[in-house]
Amino acid sequence: MATLADLTLVEAAQAVRDGEATSRDLLDACWERMEAVNPTLNATIWTDRAGAEQAAAASDAARDTPAWLGPLHGVPLAHKDMYYQAGKRCTCGSRLRKDFVPAYTATAITRLAAAGAYSFAGLNMAEFAQNPTGHNREFGDCHNPWNPPYITGGSSSGSGAAVAARFVYAALGSDTGGSIRLPASACGVTGLKPTQTRVSRYGAMPLSFTLDNVGPLTRTARDCARVMSLIAGRDQLDPTSSHLPVPDYEGALDGDVSGMRIGIPTNYFFDAADPAVTAAIEQAAEVLTARGASVTRLSLPVMDAVSAYGGIISRVEAATIHAEWMRHRSQDYAQHLSGRMYPGYAIPAPYYVESLSRRGPVLRAFAAEVFAQVDVLATPTIRTALPTLAETDIDNGPPGTEVRFLAVSANTRPFNYLGLPAISIPCGFDANGLPIGLQLAGRPFAEARLLRMADAYQRDTDWHARRPPVLEAAADNPGIILE
Amino acid sequence: MDQFLAETETTIARWHGVAAPNEPGRRMAADLVNTIAAFEALRGTLKFEDEPASFEAALHDTRETA
Repeated sequence: MATLADLTLVEAAQAVRDGEATSRDLLDACWERMEAVNPTLNATIWTDRAGAEQAAAASDAARDTPAWLGPLHGVPLAHKDMYYQAGKRCTCGSRLRKDFVPAYTATAITRLAAAGAYSFAGLNMAEFAQNPTGHNREFGDCHNPWNPPYITGGSSSGSGAAVAARFVYAALGSDTGGSIRLPASACGVTGLKPTQTRVSRYGAMPLSFTLDNVGPLTRTARDCARVMSLIAGRDQLDPTSSHLPVPDYEGALDGDVSGMRIGIPTNYFFDAADPAVTAAIEQAAEVLTARGASVTRLSLPVMDAVSAYGGIISRVEAATIHAEWMRHRSQDYAQHLSGRMYPGYAIPAPYYVESLSRRGPVLRAFAAEVFAQVDVLATPTIRTALPTLAETDIDNGPPGTEVRFLAVSANTRPFNYLGLPAISIPCGFDANGLPIGLQLAGRPFAEARLLRMADAYQRDTDWHARRPPVLEAAADNPGIILE
Repeated sequence: MDQFLAETETTIARWHGVAAPNEPGRRMAADLVNTIAAFEALRGTLKFEDEPASFEAALHDTRETA
């Protein structure tokens, strides 16, 4: 049964603007849905009902006045619990920051607030954003809304689960090796990792200064475009952010993909892929060709370099950031986390510098050969059938569990090293009823093209609109019913 | 492999004061032999650079312009 919580982000904002719903109505609907499904999902770390009620009241009082804030006026959101908000607890998913209260606010949060949105919860995440599965020893594992024993993907696990379970309209995630796209794929929502430098990282907990990205998880490509239009762009507080102007992402969604050239790789991305995953990607390509796109098969260059260099940077940077705690409080990390960081201390500095210095030349070589032939690459976001939490539990599993654990992010990591934008959208289901994600990647700053293609695909398919079974649990507590 | 791991643990302890936190950490440290192999395979591709190549410049130069 549909409630206000089932609206998309754009629809929810429009409902407030048109006077069809108040901000308080939206908050109540999201809150009731959260209470119904969250005992199964464990998608939140903290909630703030009183603060959210105050924000909703202020939003409703400001409607139809000059204090109207903007395109997300009155919309309640929640984000991965690693975005600093001055004076508010921010755990980063870890025992080590359980009581951390930052003194300043992340630029992405400031920009969403300037557009009228407010936050009502901190969403579950991998400890320090460092696993691709959604395990969390301190706050409990996050569970998949489509089949709870299975992983949500990580590290933005709560963002994926909460958006999929329709108690958050949109959520920020972060992506250093796939942490937006993996939960988007596993939970059946839309998630965009922007071009490196496109979105300010100021006030976002660092994992790897070189590879971190801020981006949205949403129910639709249009919602994703709305959020990107708000958070992208130069930020003086993040000197690494790009000066390039931000296009009108939402305005570019016209459904037209005619003439666009899609490349399906013949190497790396389909190695040992699950047949159901491969079939889903092929079928997605057919949908887009029916709209006028063309498909080319091509072998991608420099993938050995991308894999070798890409694996160095985040390990060294994470090990460096966490060195003091690793010396004195290593038992306060989950085993899979301290275990992954530990080898970072043995990687020689010349390997790290080589990985950094080769990033530009490798990108140039990749772009020159690939984007001369195609505009967009289409791959699975996760190439294997989705594993369970138990199958990827390094802390409690047998030796070798880490192989299955690390395989989850094999298809997302390359685009972090290359710095390219990549979006994951749902394109089918595997034999266990779990979503399959289609990953589309393009040239630097091609977010508008990726969003246009994703939106076009969602005009012809309904994978993104399907409701996960966990919502059946909410059927007895429907909240406000839509007409 | 045992010798490689022992030397790696000693090096990490000497240079960083960090002890192996657990068995998964030791297993992943032992797996650094594959990292070395991957870099060995890339030898010869890195040329002398008068100044480091800029990744940001590459992003800009290869960007979508339409």
